[in-house]
Amino acid sequence: MSTRMSRRTLLQGTTAAGAVASLPRFMTGPAFADTAKLSVFSPLPPDPAPPGAAKFSEDAFAQWKAAKGAEVEYEMLAWPQLHDRMATAFASGSAPWDIVYMCGWVPELQSNIIPYADALPKALVDDLPQSSFSTVTVDGKRYGAVFTLSLLTLFYNKAMLDQAGFKAPPKDWDELKRCAKELTHDGNYGFVLNYGDPAGIGGTASYWMTYLQQAGGKMYGEDGLPVFKGDAGVDALQLMVDLMPFTDPGSISYAGINDATNVLLAGRAGMMMNWPFMWNAGSDPKQSKIVGNLASAILPAGPAGSASIDGTDAWTITKSSKNPDKARELVEFYLDAEVQKRQVLDTGWLPIRLSVLADPEVQAKAPNAAVVLEQAKHPYDSFVTADYNEVTVAVGTEVQKALQGQKTAAQAIADAQDQVTAIVKRRKS
Amino acid sequence: MSFARRQHGGPLLRGLVVLGLVVFVVWSAGPVVWLIVSSLLEQQALISQPPDVSPSAFTLDNFVQVIAAAAALGKGILNSLMVALFSTAVSLALGAPAAYALARLPVPRANNIAFLILATQMLPGIAIAIPLFIAISKLGLIDSVFSLGFVYLSFNLPIVVWILRGFFLGIPVGIERAAAVDGAGVFATFWHIVLPISIPPLAAAAVFAFVEAWNEFFFALILTRQSAQTVPLVIAQFAGQYQTVFGQMMAAAVISVAPVIVLAIVFRNQIVRGFADGMTKG
Amino acid sequence: MTVTAATFEQRRRRVGLLFVLPALLVLAAVLGYPIVDSIMLALQRVTLTGGAIQQSWVGFDNFQRLFADATFQRAALNTAYFSAMEVVLVVLISLGVAVLLNHPMGRFGVFRILLIVPWAIAPVANAVLWKWILHANYGVLNGILKGLGLIDHYHVWLGTPVSALNFLLLVDVWKSVPFVALLILAGLQRVPSILYRAAYMDGAGPVQSFLHVTLPTIRSVIAIAVVLQTIWSLRVFDIVFVLTRGGPADATALLNFLAYRVTFNFLDLGYGSAIANVIFAITMLLAILYVWLLWPRPAGAKR
Repeated sequence: MSTRMSRRTLLQGTTAAGAVASLPRFMTGPAFADTAKLSVFSPLPPDPAPPGAAKFSEDAFAQWKAAKGAEVEYEMLAWPQLHDRMATAFASGSAPWDIVYMCGWVPELQSNIIPYADALPKALVDDLPQSSFSTVTVDGKRYGAVFTLSLLTLFYNKAMLDQAGFKAPPKDWDELKRCAKELTHDGNYGFVLNYGDPAGIGGTASYWMTYLQQAGGKMYGEDGLPVFKGDAGVDALQLMVDLMPFTDPGSISYAGINDATNVLLAGRAGMMMNWPFMWNAGSDPKQSKIVGNLASAILPAGPAGSASIDGTDAWTITKSSKNPDKARELVEFYLDAEVQKRQVLDTGWLPIRLSVLADPEVQAKAPNAAVVLEQAKHPYDSFVTADYNEVTVAVGTEVQKALQGQKTAAQAIADAQDQVTAIVKRRKS
Repeated sequence: MSFARRQHGGPLLRGLVVLGLVVFVVWSAGPVVWLIVSSLLEQQALISQPPDVSPSAFTLDNFVQVIAAAAALGKGILNSLMVALFSTAVSLALGAPAAYALARLPVPRANNIAFLILATQMLPGIAIAIPLFIAISKLGLIDSVFSLGFVYLSFNLPIVVWILRGFFLGIPVGIERAAAVDGAGVFATFWHIVLPISIPPLAAAAVFAFVEAWNEFFFALILTRQSAQTVPLVIAQFAGQYQTVFGQMMAAAVISVAPVIVLAIVFRNQIVRGFADGMTKG
Repeated sequence: MTVTAATFEQRRRRVGLLFVLPALLVLAAVLGYPIVDSIMLALQRVTLTGGAIQQSWVGFDNFQRLFADATFQRAALNTAYFSAMEVVLVVLISLGVAVLLNHPMGRFGVFRILLIVPWAIAPVANAVLWKWILHANYGVLNGILKGLGLIDHYHVWLGTPVSALNFLLLVDVWKSVPFVALLILAGLQRVPSILYRAAYMDGAGPVQSFLHVTLPTIRSVIAIAVVLQTIWSLRVFDIVFVLTRGGPADATALLNFLAYRVTFNFLDLGYGSAIANVIFAITMLLAILYVWLLWPRPAGAKR
């Protein structure tokens, strides 16, 4: 329901932004010389977007603009194309924006943005999960603020689990494998995931990184060189391989998470890892055949416990911004407690502020908020580096080879480590 | 058996032609039919196994959603129309004379020039995207329908030149010679003799230029921001990071393909008819 | 008289140059700088720092890297297969379609409109359409084939290397046939019917008159189709991007997809340009070869 709402909103938003852009010169010229103009590059809803781009907190936004004497212009683009346009603009040295949405791209584009988040008010920072800064921190400086808590958790079909005799979702890897096996029969599968695209957050490599942390491993050592070639890395991949017979065989061909989500929502797969926003689609009878049966839980624990990865939807401020202070104030407005509450109530994107996440009204509207909050108590590192795309292509491709049986898990992990070492060394040379 | 009858062929040949046409229709229309069916179904019907196409599953909801978005789609269609018409008109206006000259007039090194023009198409757009963006943003022409249309000339013009040159090369020399004997100048020959008998290839070239400009995605993505956004970018909005509203995307695609189909219907006779007869009579 | 002829030729030549020049100027204005810059980028190591490109000359390092890059070699092999098959299939199918639509029974406007539709659908939507058609779990292709009893279980069409690459090929052929068929159809229409009549008088059957009348007349059109389709098939990108992202395990990575990934995802502009320039060089060599082999020469003209 709310997805459909926001779909409509996005198009209205687009028009509104277009109308602002086409105002006659004299209306935006000298008469308002002291107003700051801020340009924000944002994803289009239903991906996470700020007030004015998505339909929430619009009155508060208008008041903020009036009080601060600021004009805000949104440039919005469908999420999958954001990085291309951004990279082109930064590469040519002419990025026209003040505030830019980023998703794990902070280390890669770090030299184009400023570490403004160090100057955010303490009261605000104290209300944010500290781990949420890990993907936006480079050399100890904070370049961004994550504005929605988006962690991978386990989504499952309660009815299918009930039928197979599982009263609760799997708590650890063994239960996960057993449960997946029991659920696989008559064209239904225990598990489904998108293993088609090796790269990026939500790609094959990032799923393996989730299991890697659950196995107690990490990607890089202190010197920045990869250290994942060990038992944890191999165990993580072996788990994925062991799950394959009970995983929808199409998974290896699903290039986007949407391809896998639909299998779960059609009721033909029992479990998958997914992002909190998926709750909306799963509860919409137009999109989902398992309304009422969708449930979520924290990810099953590996040898080192549960762990996840972070979707890292963050606001950053560009180096070329002429009004960096005003831009920071706008981000503070986006992170305002009331705005954050409307964000989840009206668009379905969870807030990042711990106080809002704990709000009973929020938890009632987003039943999975408590699960995500619980998941946030466990580690969630996305291992984002300047080479993230290249590293995840290399690792993800090796993981795919293991999943297809072309290589053993140990061999794939060893080869992946060699490739990642070469990538890191080339950057440093 | 008369010659006219022979053109239809014997029963065997006619059977083969009918079979071929059936295969052709299934091959061309099959996926298109599914496109249209998808635009009329809810997502939950599309993810059923097999897809649920019972009459009760059909709905106009996707079109309602997309038309509620008409402001963005309408603007996109308008922008695409301007870009496509501009780039089609200019590439024909510049391409047809160039093709004629390279085919028929004593331009030095005509073959080399023609090959050079083709060679501009051999570097993938991905490689020239960033330098092109730098150049255009220095000129302050990012997000302009005009600069996008101009950039589209870079792939439309060479193709138009090559399509037309091939056809001009095939025109019997006698026709032009007769015109020259009648005292017609080069320009008059081109305008009054060559162009009128070249309607089908001109139409083919125009259709090519229009469709390519109408549907181009990559340059539109990097060279526009908000106000010059074209149809393909609007269609792409229906595929987000976490979900694709497939029915709505297909509904947008149906709407966006409509103008092209209308053009094709209007010009269907120009697209391939009447060349050979006109020429032999002339 | 010779003087008049000379001035006549000169005038034709002047008009000819006048006709060619605007097109050349427009192309130079749009593409001149980007093409030169792309070639230069291929000789540099490029990093993005401080909101600008930092460049340093590295000679042919980027090209040397290609030789050690297994992914590049895989992509080159994939591309060789893909392009060769695509050119052959597209030209043959288009020829067949054009002959059908040129037959008196195929000359209805509705066929010609139907011909254009697959190509007129925006590629962004077309690729997503095929992704849904081919989906391993709820795709309609599986549904239809199972319904007809042609398969007994759902297949993962994009799941194994050979199958995935061939399905990408199928989708791209489907999209590419319309224009080439249109081109050949326009070529067929210019074959004077008097030639067929003459062939008929000489007692030629339909196959003979196709081989001896039709094909020679449309030879130049076929040559253009082969050259253009070669160029396009070497730069296929969107279908790979939407359907498979080059997977599984780089089985469907084509050179242009690789150039995109390296340039826009890895932001390794120098290496990306090097890959693009390899595509450029391969296309150029093939085009020269085709033009030399296929281009009909006017009688008496020098090669």
